[in-house]
Amino acid sequence: MHNILHDSVDVLATFADRRVRPLHMRWNDRNYSIKNVNLVHTAREGQKKIFYFSVSDIANYFKLRLDTETLEWHLVEVYSS
Amino acid sequence: MGHDNNSKNVTRLKTKIKTRFVHKIILHIDMNSYFASVEQQANPFLCGKPIGITGKRSERSIVATASIEAKKLGVKTAMSTWQAKKICPSLILITGDPEKYSEITHRFNKLFFEFTPLVQEFSVDESFLDITEQAKDWFGAVYLAHSLRERLKEECGERITASIGIAPNKLLAKLSSECVKPNGITLTRKEDAITRLDSVQLTDLCGIGPRMGRRLNDLGIRNFKQLREFPREELVDEFSSYGYWLHEAAYGRETSEVSIEEEDPKSVGHSYTLPKDTFDPVLMQRYLLGMCEKVAWRMRRDGFVANAVSTYVRYGDFSGNGKQHVFKEATADGLRLFEIAWGLLEKIRDRSKPVRLLGVSTSHLSHTSAPNSLFQKEQKNLSVLSALDKIQTRYGSKAWTRASLLPIAFQNRASGLGYDHEL
Repeated sequence: MHNILHDSVDVLATFADRRVRPLHMRWNDRNYSIKNVNLVHTAREGQKKIFYFSVSDIANYFKLRLDTETLEWHLVEVYSS
Repeated sequence: MGHDNNSKNVTRLKTKIKTRFVHKIILHIDMNSYFASVEQQANPFLCGKPIGITGKRSERSIVATASIEAKKLGVKTAMSTWQAKKICPSLILITGDPEKYSEITHRFNKLFFEFTPLVQEFSVDESFLDITEQAKDWFGAVYLAHSLRERLKEECGERITASIGIAPNKLLAKLSSECVKPNGITLTRKEDAITRLDSVQLTDLCGIGPRMGRRLNDLGIRNFKQLREFPREELVDEFSSYGYWLHEAAYGRETSEVSIEEEDPKSVGHSYTLPKDTFDPVLMQRYLLGMCEKVAWRMRRDGFVANAVSTYVRYGDFSGNGKQHVFKEATADGLRLFEIAWGLLEKIRDRSKPVRLLGVSTSHLSHTSAPNSLFQKEQKNLSVLSALDKIQTRYGSKAWTRASLLPIAFQNRASGLGYDHEL
């Protein structure tokens, strides 16, 4: 099931070697451990840069949005197999 | 200065290739089921499944790209989604994400420059590389193609693969890349050109479309052998200069260079499938105005003005028509474009049929600035537009809208609408 959403989430991430890597996400009072970062891409909203992380745990795909101006994380897509 | 030096280096390299090498070595790189592969890279749960990438509303859209698995089950590019679902009920439809594809395209084209400065972006998922100097010979070319495939995997992910054609010119390189899909490397040397051409259909060659194929068939030409045997003079009589090209192509000969110059666009346009087929002129006006504003913004951002506007309408029964208007006073004002486009639409629209899709495009583009108006009202409009452009540059395309457009919403993730990316 594929869902498009825009939910604010808490993300624990590492910032190393000039790369951001999300490790854990808390959404709807549940913790998810991110197993793989499959693809990272960026987009522009005016001059603002947005990072998108396509990640997965053992059962779900998540697309996370990081606003580099506000440092807010949003969950924008979920796909459960 | 940097650009001048780069141009000089490229010219020097091209001269060196001409003088030192008997033939060129060209790579054509064609990303396999590109949009679908990117989605499978992003979401591993889609791997191995038949998926189709569609427009903003999958139920009123077409399959822009089918995954390799979907193609095996009979789904074809540009097939309507209902037809694709009928053929393949297990097909998973995914709404396309142009931002993502745009970035990956930039990423792999940047990677190609590690191999040669002579890179031509042919389309969003195809590029030509002239590697004559770097490869030296065919063995070197195959080695470089393998290395490039490895780098592609490192930079873009293992699901995003490419078929690579290697040949002495662009025509044969493109034909070769079509031979083994997915993830193939195919070499066609000069001496293999005839064999390669004789193993494919006329319309498999880039430059011979279905219509041209039918015209050739009408002349009794059904394959490349017959095209070679057909008198060149008669081809020229029939097709003018294109006849020469056809004759040379039949032998696998072509001289065009890998062009690194970015050409200015010939037109800027948008089309949009409405949420429902409609007879309502107000709704049509709103969507048309929204598209004209978008087109105008893209032109102003890139420093163009237009001297022609075309509009296109498609009806619920999939018939359609379009019309162009050329005018003297160049413009990049969305409202002005809308006035012309709506005028055209009113002339051509069949009022007995509901409208499914509207499209607008500008052409006859130039880099000159729009002429200053003598009228104070128009001068004011232009200065407002300039201020709005600054806001949009800073805050993005959703920063402002006309009040009349508030009742409608262009769906996100449509083909470019609503985004600030370049694709």
